Amino acid sequence: MATTEIEQQRMGHPAHWKPENLVGNISFVELLFSNDYRYIALKGIFTAMIMLALGGAFALIFRSELAVPDVQFLGAKIYMTLMTLHGMVMVFGFLIPFVVSISYYMLPRVLGTDRLYWAGAAQASYWILIVAAVLLVIGRPDFTWTAYAPMSFRTGNEFIWMGHLSIILVAVSEFLAGVVLVRNAFSGTGGWKNTPLMAWAAGTIGLLFMVSTLPLGFVGYGLLSDWAQWNPTAYFDPSRGGSVKFFLYVFWTYGHPAVYLPFVPAIAIIYTIMPRFLGHPMWSYWSGVVAFILLAVGAMPIGPHHFQPVYTVSGDYQRFVQILTMLVFIPSVLHVFNWISTLFMKPIPDSARRFIPFKFMVMAIAFIVYGGATAFLNAQIAPDSDFIHNTYWIPAHFHAMFFGFAGQMAIAGFYYLYPYFTGRMFHQGMANAHFWLWQVGLFIKITGMGVAGYLYFPRWVYDYLDIPGWAEAQLFITIGGFLVGIGFIFFVVNVVWSARNGKIAPEDPWPVIHDEKIAATAVPAE
Amino acid sequence: MENALGIWGSQATLMAITASFTVLGLVMLLAALFMGRRWKPSYAFEFGFIAIMIGLVFYADWASTETYSAYQENLNAEEKKVSGNYVGEGEAAFDRVVTVIAFQWGFAFIDKDDKISRNATIVKPGEKVLFKIVSNDVIHGFNIPVAQITAEIDPDSKREVWIKAPDKPGKYLIQCVNYCGVGHSQMKAWLVVQGDAPTASVGEDI
Repeated sequence: MATTEIEQQRMGHPAHWKPENLVGNISFVELLFSNDYRYIALKGIFTAMIMLALGGAFALIFRSELAVPDVQFLGAKIYMTLMTLHGMVMVFGFLIPFVVSISYYMLPRVLGTDRLYWAGAAQASYWILIVAAVLLVIGRPDFTWTAYAPMSFRTGNEFIWMGHLSIILVAVSEFLAGVVLVRNAFSGTGGWKNTPLMAWAAGTIGLLFMVSTLPLGFVGYGLLSDWAQWNPTAYFDPSRGGSVKFFLYVFWTYGHPAVYLPFVPAIAIIYTIMPRFLGHPMWSYWSGVVAFILLAVGAMPIGPHHFQPVYTVSGDYQRFVQILTMLVFIPSVLHVFNWISTLFMKPIPDSARRFIPFKFMVMAIAFIVYGGATAFLNAQIAPDSDFIHNTYWIPAHFHAMFFGFAGQMAIAGFYYLYPYFTGRMFHQGMANAHFWLWQVGLFIKITGMGVAGYLYFPRWVYDYLDIPGWAEAQLFITIGGFLVGIGFIFFVVNVVWSARNGKIAPEDPWPVIHDEKIAATAVPAE
Repeated sequence: MENALGIWGSQATLMAITASFTVLGLVMLLAALFMGRRWKPSYAFEFGFIAIMIGLVFYADWASTETYSAYQENLNAEEKKVSGNYVGEGEAAFDRVVTVIAFQWGFAFIDKDDKISRNATIVKPGEKVLFKIVSNDVIHGFNIPVAQITAEIDPDSKREVWIKAPDKPGKYLIQCVNYCGVGHSQMKAWLVVQGDAPTASVGEDI
């Protein structure tokens, strides 16, 4: 394997990767309050998994309700509360903290610093998010994660202020996470030309975290202030001099970059684990760097594509947003092209083909193509004003991107890290069952949503008419959702069982072996 | 069926291109996993790919803008004729003008004789109908699947939507597609198409 020194540096420091039984030797107090980067990361990862279980359970409850037309057992109020909590818990509680925690874990290792700078801020970010989650569960808001004004302060729920407050807390928590990511991105020693792509990702997305959470914090404050009527003139309440369009612009100035907040750290995981599985550097280092920068630059101004059909007349500004939205496609194409070329340029080791994180990574790439390429239509005002805006087409798109790609990449990162923090390997058979259940379930679910959207099935309804195609699509989505749920049970059982009973991890849990027989003995099927 | 937005021209081409790009990406991934022969793809390949993408972006922008401005022609023409005020002869271009108030939770349709009907509006087959929509409370959606048109109504402004009514008599769904509170699921109305098609001589007064 003739990799030059500079390539070695860009791939990160393999010397820091040694399996150890961290989870077994950790004390509870240490886990909660230690500033060691591994403990902070593990705390974040396991909390995120609890959030995933919670958000998934919410989804399965309302999915059962939606499986057939008419009202079965869920009323509108409870349905919408579950839906809101599902969205918020999954994005703010599971996805973003999960990928950020994996970055906390991997960054010090790939950079060779072996410590997380400004760990106190990461600690604060974690605890603030916990407070926000508790507030959400107590306040039980039903205004969906977008909290559109003025609906979100006219819900008749007297605890709705908890929802607004938790929006502010989420903004603070994400801001602090961004600060930590940026600080650590600059902690490498090799100079910026050699710094691993994960650090480039952390730097660019950290900046985006810091800039984009400012409008989110303001939205939370504005909603709270309008609800409590603190100011004689409201920000967002049109009945008291506020402006709804103002809300839309401010919210989506956060809301579009927000979708990149889990997306880019997930991309960084690929750039970290792919070279290790394949045993050679990425196809192009600079292509990755340029893509990270372009994505960060293009993310902020394109939020208005989320409310294109508000305008009777689409003028030059709308057209600018439309073009820029489609151009932001390019960094993602650069990334995907880079990954596929890296997979293609040399024979794939037989060991890699057996690795569960490698399989999840490949399918994550497949889902980013599936959900991303079809989204080329979403940006265009004409089809957006036809079947795309706020029909199930949109959930199909973001479940493919958030779950199919970012979520599965986070899970790949988790499986990859597993031997490093437990000292043991997970059970291969259960992991395979998890893998296949998720791929099949996700594909059914996402495709069902896309079909429902094409048939104009509206978002956010708990009850629907028996229009041809609607009930069938919903039934399919529910089946897919339950497959994903069963896969998750395999995952949890595997994680818990293997931590005590798994095989002791070898010195290098992810060896590069170009021989089918040796690979078969090194990575057994069960 | 002919629809207001006329979306099945260049948009259909774009949908086909989008679908083939998805398939191309998946085929490339499969090749990367299973193909026997391997080599290092050149940068020229990537640049070519990006160049095609940029070309597509501008084609998509042109196609979308073309489609949407053709749809807006009518609306813009009316606005010009009546100088921003939505009454006057500009609306004569439409067979029927309906004011719609979207509220929590339902639609009220007000015809030109000030007759109000809740959650149903009656039109004739093939009529050109202009909906002038306002919302007095929160952000609502206005979607007529059969006419392939969606609008989002925010309380700050008026929104105009026009459709060509279906030729076949029947009941067609009108629905809110923007979450507007717990009653959102019930926010539906019917576009009822009945009676004879308007004849070619219809113009001055019916």
